[in-house]
Amino acid sequence: MQIIVTGTLLGGTYALIALGLTLQYGAARIMNLANGETLVAAGFVAFWLFTALGVNPLLGMVLIAPMALALNWLIYAWLLRPLVRRAKNRGMLEVDSILATFGLLFLFQGLMLLGFGGGYFSYKFLAEPFLILGEPYGLNRVVAFVAAVIVASLLYLFLYHTRQGTAVRAVAVDPASARLVAIDVARTAAFAFALGGALTACGGILLSTFYTFNASMGVIFTMKALIIVIMGGVGDVRGATLAALILGITETAVASLIDPGLTLAANYALFVLVLLFRPQGILGRASA
Amino acid sequence: MLEVSNLGVCYGRHTALQGVSLHVEKGEISVMLGANGAGKSSLLKAVAGIVPAEPGTEIRMNGRAISGLDAHLIVEQGIALVPEGRGVFGELTVEENLALGAFAKRARGSEKSTLGLVHELFPRLAERKRQQVRTMSGGEQQMVAIGRALMSRPDILMLDEPSLGLSPLLSKDLFKSLKRIAVSGFGILLVEQNAKLSLKIADRGYLIENGAITGEDTADNLRHNPAVINAYLGGHRGNA
Repeated sequence: MQIIVTGTLLGGTYALIALGLTLQYGAARIMNLANGETLVAAGFVAFWLFTALGVNPLLGMVLIAPMALALNWLIYAWLLRPLVRRAKNRGMLEVDSILATFGLLFLFQGLMLLGFGGGYFSYKFLAEPFLILGEPYGLNRVVAFVAAVIVASLLYLFLYHTRQGTAVRAVAVDPASARLVAIDVARTAAFAFALGGALTACGGILLSTFYTFNASMGVIFTMKALIIVIMGGVGDVRGATLAALILGITETAVASLIDPGLTLAANYALFVLVLLFRPQGILGRASA
Repeated sequence: MLEVSNLGVCYGRHTALQGVSLHVEKGEISVMLGANGAGKSSLLKAVAGIVPAEPGTEIRMNGRAISGLDAHLIVEQGIALVPEGRGVFGELTVEENLALGAFAKRARGSEKSTLGLVHELFPRLAERKRQQVRTMSGGEQQMVAIGRALMSRPDILMLDEPSLGLSPLLSKDLFKSLKRIAVSGFGILLVEQNAKLSLKIADRGYLIENGAITGEDTADNLRHNPAVINAYLGGHRGNA
């Protein structure tokens, strides 16, 4: 029981990170390998706001998310749009964007190493026990989970109940038809990319409230997000959420029952199993 | 309303259309007849802004030059295309497809009344609001495609082979609906392989061969034109 609760709490944050990546890949068609760096950068800013100015990380989210949105918009406009323009097909854009964001990963990582050094960082935020079914859990983890649920619900409402959100989904499923209903595909893709970055930043902030992080840790989270996105089915918001919970629970189970050093191995084992048996994603349907 | 003059389209070295001129008026149906590869689809795509037109092309909508505009801006000028293969959002529901149809700024104010009109034309769409479009039959998907295009409140509705893949009975229903759409004030530019049915509902027709317009007449005259009968109506006068 403890494993399931801890895993679910962790999975909530993972879901946000993966939703960011799935928006960027599903709608903007950019496989953003620097996604984890957005997460770590957001964690650093939250750390700095909290330790230097005493700003509550949840309040910090209101500040950092728009910044991440703007930054990712600029990255898309300057770095990725030329790639989108010259790509003759989706495959070419995928290869180009993977290479470009791979480079971006090292640029951001280098900047953060320069600014913060290679040491580990953490801060104490709501580090007190909270009882669920008689068992104590870190209050910060519970709060992070609740915040993740709220942000994810807002995203769901936006995507499924607003005109702009439906337009984002239209661009994700069929960009060629989207322009026939007066959707500016280029702008919508840029917005989806920026929004994905903001979501990942929110995930990073929440993660930083209970997790010890350092400047070069982004890659691990990019990998986790990738695994979740592929497990959930590319572009599938609901599948990604479910996959994130599964990953969170599996990690926690392996860490507490076998050995904490095996969590990454467990990630990949799960990933291989999904690829072998449900390559279209857990909720996905087989393509015709 | 829609005036095209001297339209040219090239794919690399291949010339698909050359010196094409035509016009479509409000409330009237114009049909474009031609063999496969004659350039019919290229014509619609060029007007919709999906393929670039050659320099020298002039396309005007309600007096405004629109050639060279991006596809999404052309919709705002009042031209909607139902592409070959329909181009519906299969993963989305009927309701969502229709709502997206009204994404154009020109359409948002009148979304409710247009939706009423679409439901009146295709009652099936009102019954199947929440169904995912990819799970529907070909005929129903065609209704979604046309309904979605109408939701943008176009002055001109362009359709590329709408009866393709539909049974003769469904095709007949479809053409009846098109006639009703024209009667409610929309202009229609239709590209069709089914010359018989389309000439029945059309007001005027154009003949297109090897990328150029070779004839223009009223639908009635075209139906009795021996060349048209030979080429598109099966060669027997009695069938027309």
